[in-house]
Amino acid sequence: MGGVTGPLPSASARGKALRREIAALGVAASCEAADLWAASRDCSAGALLWTKARVAPHPPDVVAWPEDVDQVAALLRLAAQREVPVVPMGAGTGTVGGSIPLRGGIVLDTQRLTRPLEIDLPGGSVQVGAGVSGNRLEELLAHAGATLGHFPASLPAATVGGWLATRSAGLLSSRHGAIADMVLSLEAVDGAGEILRTLEGPSGGPDLAQLLLGNEGTLAIFTSARLRIWRRPRERWVRGVRFPSLRDGLRAVRDVLRAGLRPAIARLHDPLDTLLAGADPLRVPQPLRWLAEGAQAEALRLALRAPLLLNRLVDALPAASLLVLAFDGERADDAAHEGEVALAICDRVRGENLGPSAGERSLEALHRSSWAQAPLFAAGAFVETLDVATTWERAEALGLAVRRAAEGLAFVRAHFANAAPEGCAVELSLLGFAGAPAGEIAGASRDDAEADLEDAQQRREAALAAALSAVADEGATISHHSGVGASRHVFLRRELGEGIRQLRALKKAFDPRGILNPGKLLL
Amino acid sequence: MTVRDDLAAAGATLVEDGEGIRVTPSSVASLARAVAVVRAHRVALRLRGSGDAPVNAPPSGVLLDLGSLDRIATVNAATGIARVEAGCSVAALESAVRRAGSTLGPLLPSVRAGSVGAWLARGIAGARRETAALSLAAILPDGRIAEGRAAPAKAVGPDLAHLSLGGGGRLCVIAAAWIRLFPATPALASAWSCPDVAAAVSALEVVCQRRLAPARARILVGADGARLALAWEGVESAAIERDRAARLLAATCSPLPEVPANWVRDPAEGHPIEVDARWASLRGWSPHGDLHLFGLHAGGSFAVLSLPEARAAEECAALARAAGARVIAPRRLRDSGPGWEAAGAGAAWQRLVEVLGVEA
Repeated sequence: MGGVTGPLPSASARGKALRREIAALGVAASCEAADLWAASRDCSAGALLWTKARVAPHPPDVVAWPEDVDQVAALLRLAAQREVPVVPMGAGTGTVGGSIPLRGGIVLDTQRLTRPLEIDLPGGSVQVGAGVSGNRLEELLAHAGATLGHFPASLPAATVGGWLATRSAGLLSSRHGAIADMVLSLEAVDGAGEILRTLEGPSGGPDLAQLLLGNEGTLAIFTSARLRIWRRPRERWVRGVRFPSLRDGLRAVRDVLRAGLRPAIARLHDPLDTLLAGADPLRVPQPLRWLAEGAQAEALRLALRAPLLLNRLVDALPAASLLVLAFDGERADDAAHEGEVALAICDRVRGENLGPSAGERSLEALHRSSWAQAPLFAAGAFVETLDVATTWERAEALGLAVRRAAEGLAFVRAHFANAAPEGCAVELSLLGFAGAPAGEIAGASRDDAEADLEDAQQRREAALAAALSAVADEGATISHHSGVGASRHVFLRRELGEGIRQLRALKKAFDPRGILNPGKLLL
Repeated sequence: MTVRDDLAAAGATLVEDGEGIRVTPSSVASLARAVAVVRAHRVALRLRGSGDAPVNAPPSGVLLDLGSLDRIATVNAATGIARVEAGCSVAALESAVRRAGSTLGPLLPSVRAGSVGAWLARGIAGARRETAALSLAAILPDGRIAEGRAAPAKAVGPDLAHLSLGGGGRLCVIAAAWIRLFPATPALASAWSCPDVAAAVSALEVVCQRRLAPARARILVGADGARLALAWEGVESAAIERDRAARLLAATCSPLPEVPANWVRDPAEGHPIEVDARWASLRGWSPHGDLHLFGLHAGGSFAVLSLPEARAAEECAALARAAGARVIAPRRLRDSGPGWEAAGAGAAWQRLVEVLGVEA
């Protein structure tokens, strides 16, 4: 990590000068310490450790809040003239450090890009500003009887622009696809300040929208999008299905998808979560319950000092695997009909129908855990989340390889989600020891806090590197739906191979001055 | 050194072909060497694989004949992916995957008649409107090979495969691909009588917007209205979707008691014209003849219109374009697309072409 700079960033001379120039464009801007602090971090594990240590190693010089595409274009032309880095930021819910301004400059906060929503129900589309939050979008669509069908864990806060920038995928991607599948057209501004509006409908030539999606702010900044929407389903059918092994469960999910069924959710749990979702959580060994239930800090930290032991305890658990299966429909019998067909497929692979409650309990736990990380960090742990992906025949081996690679460095939990006909994502949580709890750090000297932070970051980075190295060795992709950001970019070279040259060519084409989010995507 | 000398030095098998040179690489590596030479000399490049229409080398340029790059390395029916070289014909690939119980699904006749490389380079989607290739091996202008990882979805920056898909070989040359497959199952069909073609298209649009898109459909114009036939092909989903679609179709159309044998699958006759169209454009465009539909989705469909006379094709193509459709075939009428200029990315395109060192 970079050097610790102190508890609150202060305005630089460059920042003050930029603020005046940006204000002259009619764009709101600030060099206030609180704004620079807020714009210097996201929800990545590394940044959450900064927050515990109360440091801001990479503050921007200035934060700007443009309100429309013309202001974004003017701002980027100014930045290009001055050769100042510009880093777009939505709600800061990213988990890979993609919006951290590694080289300072301007953080372009997109949250005021909230042009009025245009819902076209007969045509099945919505025009939405990049700064609109997921929750707000779904609320407005629900009011019109529609849904986007995009429900990532970050939904309550994340912005549409953030989804586009990272090729996000949500809980319901088996039915609705990822955000890249929902895009009809995009509006963005490139690094030269040119406004790009991709064409909707049939077109020839390389697909410009697909080349901009997922650029993580390195090629262009999204300002709005037209997205495909659907009639909002009224009914959901949910079941839990227990398989004697993970292999059986994976085969069942594959067969369900290959049969042409499109479940809203098909999420397969590892043995620990399978036990926790069961009727008798007391069967879970005590140290594992401390982790699962968010035990008091001391017990948690004690357990995390021996990650290998924890992982071995999980290995010794019954190998059963719980599948949460859900189908949506406009009518209850429609959803149930598909569900029963899927259950018949599961039955052929020794799946035992546990009924609705097992599935519903597991989904409730999933929603709770999405926002349960901050207390773990405060207690002295780190949680590094990974979403990697591969084809069906490699999925089990991938999960096992990551577990083996990181088992001595962190406690590893795994889910198999975002099922598609060809494969799925493996969602991994690496839970590790990260030093003193936040309360203790608050009273510690600056030197002690920095030493604690450095030690925690090294432990986290070692666990992450071990896991990603295993992913690369298995030939899987290092990110299914969270992007690469600052935390995974070291492994991007192995992922892309010679494709890195294509990426650099795109960079020179769309950002000739190299001002957009420098240091990300190896650019 | 001329391009001919450099190709020979690179070990290429070459012959004179009209005013240019034809090179027949025998491996991906030899293709990569040939591409590097051609790009370094900045001469015109054409590509041709098995099944593609005969074409001569461009004047003073090079035709890369990929007919020998036709190996099908793997067919995995369980996962639904085949690894194939770009020169393989789509028909040969379909035959191979059929033997494994899979299919590429219903495709446009012009796609089925050509090579895998041509299919992908033209940017035409697969049978379920998905990107047909899960991953690509692409030859960069300097001869290096960029290969993406086969995964159901990726968030590792822009999808670089799209520098090749739809690029017509201008930016990168496709050498091989991981192609998505579907289980081969008997189709379940239903047929309906509709007041007219526009009503049939509208009924079909409603079906697709409810996620019940059939694998293929056909609209036949008659004296007393239009007949609509639809066929679904999913292992378990076909019956579910057919029955649900029937509830929707019954609102505007009348069921026909029997589905004529092969009615949906009959090949287009006469002089077919293929377009990629949105629903609105199909409603206004289609009263000229028999209409076959593939790759149906919420926004529109590939459509093949059978014309009784070839000379009507120009007029029909013009009508389709005016309605916002893209003409795919016949080749002489094919649209290359509006390109990046219309999207405000003309400058970026020029810079991209310069950086890659390829012809505009």
